[in-house]
Amino acid sequence: MVNHGMILDLVEHVGAVARHGMVSVPLGEGDPDELRAAAAAWCARTGNDLVEVQGNVATVRRGRSPNPLGELDPDLLPGTRLWMYTNFDCNLACDYCCARSSPQAARRALGLDRVRQLATEAVDAGVSELILTGGEPFLLPDIDELVAACTAVLPTTLLTNGMLFRGRRLDALRRMDRSRLALQISLDSATSQLHDEHRGRGSWARAVAGIRTAHDEGFRVRVAATLPYEQSAELAPFHAFLDSLGIAPRDQVIRALAHRGAADAGIELTVESLIPEVTITADGVYWHPVSADDDDQLVTRDIFPLQEAITEVRRRFTEVRARATAAAQWFPCA
Amino acid sequence: MSEPLMVGAVAYTPNVVTIWEGMRDYFAGTSSEMDFVLFSNYGRQVDALIDGTIDVAWNTNLAWVRTVAQTDGACRALAMRDTDTVFQTVFVARAGSNITGLDGLRDRRLALGSQDSAQAAILPVYFLDHAGPGADSVELVRLNSDVGKHGDTGRSELDALRAVLDERADAAAIGVNTWESIGREELMPGAFEAFWESPAYSHCNFTALPDVPAERTQPWLDLLFAMDWDNPEHRPILEMEGLRRWVPPQLDGYASLFEAVREQRIPARW
Ligand code: SF4
Repeated sequence: MVNHGMILDLVEHVGAVARHGMVSVPLGEGDPDELRAAAAAWCARTGNDLVEVQGNVATVRRGRSPNPLGELDPDLLPGTRLWMYTNFDCNLACDYCCARSSPQAARRALGLDRVRQLATEAVDAGVSELILTGGEPFLLPDIDELVAACTAVLPTTLLTNGMLFRGRRLDALRRMDRSRLALQISLDSATSQLHDEHRGRGSWARAVAGIRTAHDEGFRVRVAATLPYEQSAELAPFHAFLDSLGIAPRDQVIRALAHRGAADAGIELTVESLIPEVTITADGVYWHPVSADDDDQLVTRDIFPLQEAITEVRRRFTEVRARATAAAQWFPCA
Repeated sequence: MSEPLMVGAVAYTPNVVTIWEGMRDYFAGTSSEMDFVLFSNYGRQVDALIDGTIDVAWNTNLAWVRTVAQTDGACRALAMRDTDTVFQTVFVARAGSNITGLDGLRDRRLALGSQDSAQAAILPVYFLDHAGPGADSVELVRLNSDVGKHGDTGRSELDALRAVLDERADAAAIGVNTWESIGREELMPGAFEAFWESPAYSHCNFTALPDVPAERTQPWLDLLFAMDWDNPEHRPILEMEGLRRWVPPQLDGYASLFEAVREQRIPARW
């Protein structure tokens, strides 16, 4: 049986701190699960936040903390966009690839059936945009069908290195719905040197050719550069070059190099520092596309039902933010 | 613009700072700004009201009764919380105690809170005398923690409940707010049961003296009454202060306390 005095202690200790203040309350002897349940029930009833129970000590924050989801820009709410890793293999082996993709990487494809089901469930789950990425999606023989399954229900973006638009792959590209699909092609610099340094000799010229092809075919083309943080300041020549290719300014995207996957340097991105973007791979649901090959950011192996996966990501985000707020409150420096 | 209305409150928890800063922010930029002064006890606050240091005091029911006594009834109540109009004292015992009403307390031990707590000491004695066996036939166990704060901290009521759990008392008299805060009978099944609930009476109010004219207090009150539970900016303050809306005072609700203070010869000041 729960020690009855614990509720009295909770009332007294929590009542003695200011709103949003935190307090640790020993819960006394008893079964830890029962103590936790009783503390949680008291917090729920009285409008306080049970931050954690460790051992038999509950940490409670007075009052309800604001919902971190409610504070996000609506566009950033996890589950607004749904990322799908169509496959992990790639014709390139960029040295900073966050997905560790390369010609040697196993395919690990989601496959048409799962992509179709995800697209369908995404609509019901309130997703407003689908994003397909890899690996290099154009290595898949049925990429046009995957894309069609997505564009049939929602606006879609397809990430590619743009190097394979020839023959049957060009035919596949031509079958895609220009009114619903944007292509995002990777290009890191206005001249070949930097791009080729990381992505392989000759890759810049072929990527630029791919951008021109996609653009000429009437697709909206977004160009995304991956740059080390220190190089992200001198971008004028790069933007001028993209302007000359006819890429709209809003479609010129610069991403900081992340220390993830194959990259041996870059900014550190953790569950604590990333606002999640629900990402599905053949292996499960991940926190963010930048960490889709990293177990530390695996959310669940269960892809379906998608709504549950999204709910779980949101729940964890709320929990992580609450913990961060709690930690911040524990370390006043003065 | 006139000087801000100076409101006094007793700092019975650090949250009081947050509450009154929120109140001050709510009135900021209006034609009726306010500021606040915090006191360590109600005695000093009533003194400050009478000597004009503050214009308005956020008073407990006992502080109101004492202000009335010290001003010969010249003070006026301006507003209360909706929850102040329906305050109650709850008598609780261990679950299964078989005490079924105030008469069941005859020759038993009743734990009371701070001597200056209307809900947990003064009115319980009054209820024993008027609706029960008489306080003389009950063994009163007085737990005088946080005297001066008129029971606001709730600590003496928690101590009274602990006395029941520890079998140092057979029952306790507590405010309905403390009863709510422990989740009534629901969160601790098998711990406590309520066996008598008092009639509703009035609790806190904003008190002013006649030398603060209505032209100063009325615009402030108009804004106070306009605080809206459904407005997300007002809601946190209302939640912290424990109300859904501010209401005009219900002075009838103080009758039992006036009578209790007279009968128990509680002095106008301590
Ligand atoms: S960064 Fe893109 S193009 Fe380069 S290896 Fe990874 S998936 Fe392939």
